[in-house]
Amino acid sequence: MRALMNRRIFGGRLLAGTGALAVRRLCSTGRLRDRRKSRSRVAILNADSYDGPLDRLLLDGLRLFDLDLRGKSVLLKPNLVEYIAGADVNTDPRLVGAAATTLLEMGATSVLVGEGPGHQRDTFLVLAESGLEKELQSRRIRFIDLNRDEIRQVPLKSAFTGLEKLWLPRTVLTSDVIVSMPKVKTHHWAGITLSMKNLFGVVPGVAYGWPKNLLHCKGIERSVLDINAAVPAHFVIADGIIGMEGNGPLHGSPRNLGRIVLADDPVAADFVCTRLMGLNPLRVNYLAQAAEFLGNGTTDRIVQLGEPMFAPQEPFAVLPEFAHLRI
Amino acid sequence: MNRSLALEKQRLARCRLLTELLYRRLPRPGGWSHCGVQLGTEPTSLALLALRSSRSSPVPIEELAPLLACRRPNGLWSAVRDGDTEANFWASAIALNTLMILGAASEMFVGALNSLLHCKPLEASWLVRLKFRISDRQVRLDPTKFGWPWIPDTMSWVEPTSMVLIALERAKNLGLVQGDELWCRLNLGTHMLFDRGCPEGGWNAGNGVVYGVPLQPHLDATALALAALRFHYHSPTVNSSLTWMLNRIDCPSAYSLAWLILSAAAYKDWRSDVLPVLDVARNRLAALVEEPQQIQDTSTIALAALALDPETANNPLEVTPCAH
Repeated sequence: MRALMNRRIFGGRLLAGTGALAVRRLCSTGRLRDRRKSRSRVAILNADSYDGPLDRLLLDGLRLFDLDLRGKSVLLKPNLVEYIAGADVNTDPRLVGAAATTLLEMGATSVLVGEGPGHQRDTFLVLAESGLEKELQSRRIRFIDLNRDEIRQVPLKSAFTGLEKLWLPRTVLTSDVIVSMPKVKTHHWAGITLSMKNLFGVVPGVAYGWPKNLLHCKGIERSVLDINAAVPAHFVIADGIIGMEGNGPLHGSPRNLGRIVLADDPVAADFVCTRLMGLNPLRVNYLAQAAEFLGNGTTDRIVQLGEPMFAPQEPFAVLPEFAHLRI
Repeated sequence: MNRSLALEKQRLARCRLLTELLYRRLPRPGGWSHCGVQLGTEPTSLALLALRSSRSSPVPIEELAPLLACRRPNGLWSAVRDGDTEANFWASAIALNTLMILGAASEMFVGALNSLLHCKPLEASWLVRLKFRISDRQVRLDPTKFGWPWIPDTMSWVEPTSMVLIALERAKNLGLVQGDELWCRLNLGTHMLFDRGCPEGGWNAGNGVVYGVPLQPHLDATALALAALRFHYHSPTVNSSLTWMLNRIDCPSAYSLAWLILSAAAYKDWRSDVLPVLDVARNRLAALVEEPQQIQDTSTIALAALALDPETANNPLEVTPCAH
């Protein structure tokens, strides 16, 4: 048993290392464009519960970033998977509502919330049961079902899946600013699900079905890279107030983290969130690869704002397949 | 008595409102979109069924033109008309069902029937089966039992499998397909549905147990699977799933509730508890669609119109032998 675990840990580390090396080579030969900015900014905010003054907290946090939202349309993409009574599966509606109001307050001309759940075809059922519908109605924010929006085909900018083109919702392609709002969770297929994996929800079910099986067939990690290269999120507001550990994204256990993470780079956001989970981001294969061309992962290229970074004493529990992620 | 009459009147009034809205949402070139103007096979099929539900004469071909516009060279349908969208088996099955219900000439769709019969999902490959036997064992499924995928080169899933089974069953009753191949495919698809059910009854997309954890069923997937399995009404799985579904009429979404009603209607002659539940479910649906203009998805509007019309002969989930 122990030998099997050691093999898994070694294999996982090796995979992430070689994957990153391969991407570095693709960049150096000009087959993949290095799109990293010189510096990314990440802010960690302390928030013990969803009942506090989230609007105020977010406004103060977002002001750390010189965001110019005037005249821009914003699409908020929360993680709305499925409603399971008593389980913290989805990005909390109160945080989504607070983010929408705050971004409008900061000058955005419009803020839409959009999601295309991967398994549950009835998006408006999840919307109603999760409480997000009521929250958005009370704030007069419109929701769009990305699974059934009009779709356009776009050429991919990377070739990890081998797909040349991808169908994407019109709302995603026409929004000026995309904000990924993941729930900080472990994931039984991908290890972790944060702002980059959250963008699976922009891939339209009407074109690919439920679940978006083509992405699984092509490889979840490769798909995460291709989607994020095609439609990178401009900003991240990650819900780490209550996260999920163990058998996520649906059946794990709640984990009080007490943090909201803001970032102007999804790769940097996911690196910081992974460290906050007590896991090693460089051992997440797609994160290690993304840090070679999509965004920043190294601490010298991430400007840390807000609260200081503390890894938890006890890392997030993961399935045995992902034991290699623990620091 | 008066109250039930009043409720029935309300249901019919809502049904009229929904059909009026469908006409208002019809873009100029014809055909319906989920939301916006991009022609979609599913919303166009369901809207055609909803709007033609009270007429018995065959539909003129010009009314079917938008639906036929989503057809691809291989006879199958894509989900939307634009560009080089690939074949979509759910869209193909729903289009086929619609054309057969509306009495369209079989030349329009016989090619699609053959393509559906010959379609094989990913797990039909021995290599993929081997992968499931050796390494990919976290999802409980038997890969030798397969149905239909959403799109080519992917695994089979509950919703497209259910809709294709219904379409093939309808085609069989119309005498459009027959033979061992049909029997074999219907059998395989049916076994796949039984294999992929949730332990507590009902279905979701097709993952009943993952990492040893039983997953919860979804109402729309359950409704579709039950409709596809209605000739297996004696099966304990079907019975327990029907009971689970009939206990979910408090659902807050018009989309799922409409599928529930259309599916349960297919069982009304086989279980005595269905009719009273249908009545309550229709009243609830009428209340949910009080402001139909707020409904984003045209498919939901069409489904609700079909579900609220107790006289409809165009229930896409009900297969009855045809006189043709």
